[in-house]
Amino acid sequence: MPYLSEIQRSKVVDPAGAEIGRLVDIAVVPKEQFPAVQWAILRAKDGERIVRWADLERSDREYRLRETAVPPAPGELPPEAMRLGRDLLDKQIVDTHGAKVVRVNDLQLDDKGGQLRLVGADVGLRGLLRRVGGEGAAERMASVVGRKLPRGIIPWHLVEPLEATQQNVRLTLPHAKLALLHPADIADIVEEMTTDERRAVFDQLDVETAAETLEEIEPEMQAAIVGDLDEERAADILEEMDPDEAVDLLQDLPEEKRDELVELMEEEEGADVEELLAYPEDSAGGIMTTDFLALARDLTAGQAIEKLRELKPDPALVYYLYVIDSEGRLEGNISLRDLVVAAPETPLTQIMNPNVLKVDAATNKEDVASLIAKYDLLALPVVDARRRLIGSVTVDDVVDLMLPRGWKKRSGRSSAR
Amino acid sequence: MMAAPPSRRSRRPRLRRLHLPAMLLVLGPGLVSGFADNDAAGITTYSLAGAQYGYGFMWALLVTMIALLFTQEVGARLGLATGEGLSGVIRERFGVRWTALAVLVTLVANLGTTIAEFAGIAASLELLFRMPPQVSSILAGMFVVIVLARGSFGKVQYAFLAIGGAVSAAYAISAILAGPDWEHAAVALVKPELSPTAAYLITLVGVVGTTITPWGQAFIQSYVADKGLGPRDLVGTRVDVTLGSLVTNVVAGFIVVACAATIWTHGGQIVDAADAARALGPLAGSAATVLFSVGLLAASLLGLGVVPLSSAYFACEAFGWERGLHWRWSQAPVFYGLLAFFVAGGALFVVIPGLPLIQVMFLSAVLDGLLLPIILSFVMLLAGDRKLLGELASGRTLLVIGWGITALVSIMSVAFVVAQVFGLGS
Repeated sequence: MPYLSEIQRSKVVDPAGAEIGRLVDIAVVPKEQFPAVQWAILRAKDGERIVRWADLERSDREYRLRETAVPPAPGELPPEAMRLGRDLLDKQIVDTHGAKVVRVNDLQLDDKGGQLRLVGADVGLRGLLRRVGGEGAAERMASVVGRKLPRGIIPWHLVEPLEATQQNVRLTLPHAKLALLHPADIADIVEEMTTDERRAVFDQLDVETAAETLEEIEPEMQAAIVGDLDEERAADILEEMDPDEAVDLLQDLPEEKRDELVELMEEEEGADVEELLAYPEDSAGGIMTTDFLALARDLTAGQAIEKLRELKPDPALVYYLYVIDSEGRLEGNISLRDLVVAAPETPLTQIMNPNVLKVDAATNKEDVASLIAKYDLLALPVVDARRRLIGSVTVDDVVDLMLPRGWKKRSGRSSAR
Repeated sequence: MMAAPPSRRSRRPRLRRLHLPAMLLVLGPGLVSGFADNDAAGITTYSLAGAQYGYGFMWALLVTMIALLFTQEVGARLGLATGEGLSGVIRERFGVRWTALAVLVTLVANLGTTIAEFAGIAASLELLFRMPPQVSSILAGMFVVIVLARGSFGKVQYAFLAIGGAVSAAYAISAILAGPDWEHAAVALVKPELSPTAAYLITLVGVVGTTITPWGQAFIQSYVADKGLGPRDLVGTRVDVTLGSLVTNVVAGFIVVACAATIWTHGGQIVDAADAARALGPLAGSAATVLFSVGLLAASLLGLGVVPLSSAYFACEAFGWERGLHWRWSQAPVFYGLLAFFVAGGALFVVIPGLPLIQVMFLSAVLDGLLLPIILSFVMLLAGDRKLLGELASGRTLLVIGWGITALVSIMSVAFVVAQVFGLGS
């Protein structure tokens, strides 16, 4: 299996054996799983020449132009073409299996049935050594101590290139492989990208994935990303985010930008966000979400279940169901289990737990975290001065407070969906 | 299903986080870099320059300030446009071999700087507690490992920055109280007092090398990139690097003036750290030694928190290895290996008995100065690359100035090497 670095700089000769130039690069159209090499780029004395790969045949250490070949000519590759040397070598790519950004040291090619294909990206030490001409020596040294140099090759179908294929053409390949990763993994990868690449990713992901990804990104960078996006798009993504996460992000933006985005959001989500913005960032009110399930106290268990079927709430919302009176005051809570096992005609007030633990919106967020930890809660309701239910702090809102900084990133593996 | 509205904004004051104007938000990297620039090697080199040549290096401070402003601004623009660190961009633009050269040069220069930080810690603890360097360097090594391992450098650095700021102010006040020859100092700013000796040349290399450092160049770019700043933050970043460069060299100027007015005028010399501390005498009297030691200690620790880390980053980014303190040891072996090598190497070097600490700090600045042209050449080659930087690429004027600076620094380094090899002018 040849590597790009091994065929780069090979001599290219015409059918009569006279040198035309050197092979500097090869190009593919990155559409198939293992794309076929379609063009060779030669450097002749008077500039670059393009020739179809099929018009070259290998003889010894050089490449010979076939008799029937279209003569190499200066020109442009089609915009969808990707030059391996210029666009991939030494650049960063996403290893979608390991969910991380790595640098390409070399590219692995495979010649099967006369068709050369791009099969993998070498990101290991071997590739580096090969580039500086030290692979053989290092291999011999390693074999002296009875070891083999490890290979670090990522199969091409697991690779997602990061850079635009052409400098002035916007990323043409949609980040299809990237979109299959878990949002938390996408977030880790996005954090390593340049501003342009980031914007391209957030323009292409579907709104829901974009929102989930944004939630997982470091707070400092969140604001920068939203600031770069088109405002309509940014507002769409913010709507999809949990209101409390959206608020944390908005609080890091300059005042005018924030107002503008809230203005652009759908009325309901915008109102949620505006309410939350009123609370200090480190209080229960600042970290709570206004998305929760509250059931009127005069419902029966059967009616309540019917209501749930109608609303189809997110799984995170049904940790606890809250029971409120006509004024919106918190009366108690019910677990989904109790609701399901109760006879349909039982009134909610009979199966609810009336002594529900709750906090005021002004409670410090560290105190909220320790309450949740102490009583093993999945969520804690937040009430205002008149005991009216205004929100809920779920365990995922405080788990970051409990972990040492940086822990979230420690899990090295990706979990592909 | 909506919750009942909260008690709206009626009585509750809007207690949100204090929001600085957008421009102030990006302030930081340049200032941090500016303060960290006056590290152990910096304080020592400026002190030596003032003590030996009086106001003879004022012109060099003015020139290096302008040069620092340009090089930091270019570094920041590279970070804004590419979102990558310097070594990553060098790799993408110049390939593996050139990258290996850049990494090697940077690691050598940074190892020298790390040794200087350990020497600074040793010198200050020796002055404060008569602690032998063998003990203090090991303690300092352990301290750095603990702080970095706990991930608390982010918080601790503000303490160092504050102490650094206070000592900088102390130098300014001391310089004023010492009653220097202000007219002489001002004239010397614009009228170089050159002296054609090898000793003058080596000090010049040191002054330049400790102001415009290879690590400072990598640091500003990575910091800007890691903060996720982009091209639209150009104005704020420019303000920031301008302030940083001003801070670095104004403080340097006060150190030189204070040393000139207290040591040089009396024909004194700096042999060890206690001599250098005399420059703070006019302000602190007998407490000058303590003040100087604390300042040197804080400056050295700040440098120690930045330099090994940024070196390991630099190498790992170039070759695409996992980097950052959030990884486990087994996940980022090269990163942690380099970090350990720097901390252990620096600490163990200072353990050598009878090491002239002041000279070690000064020579690390000279080493930085000698290697600087290589890094600056890479930076300038990248700065004019329109394909890479787009709108942020340097225009013709900036390129001419940048290459001018690089050429001057190169001539200086070559002249130094030639003078050393042929023993000229000594």
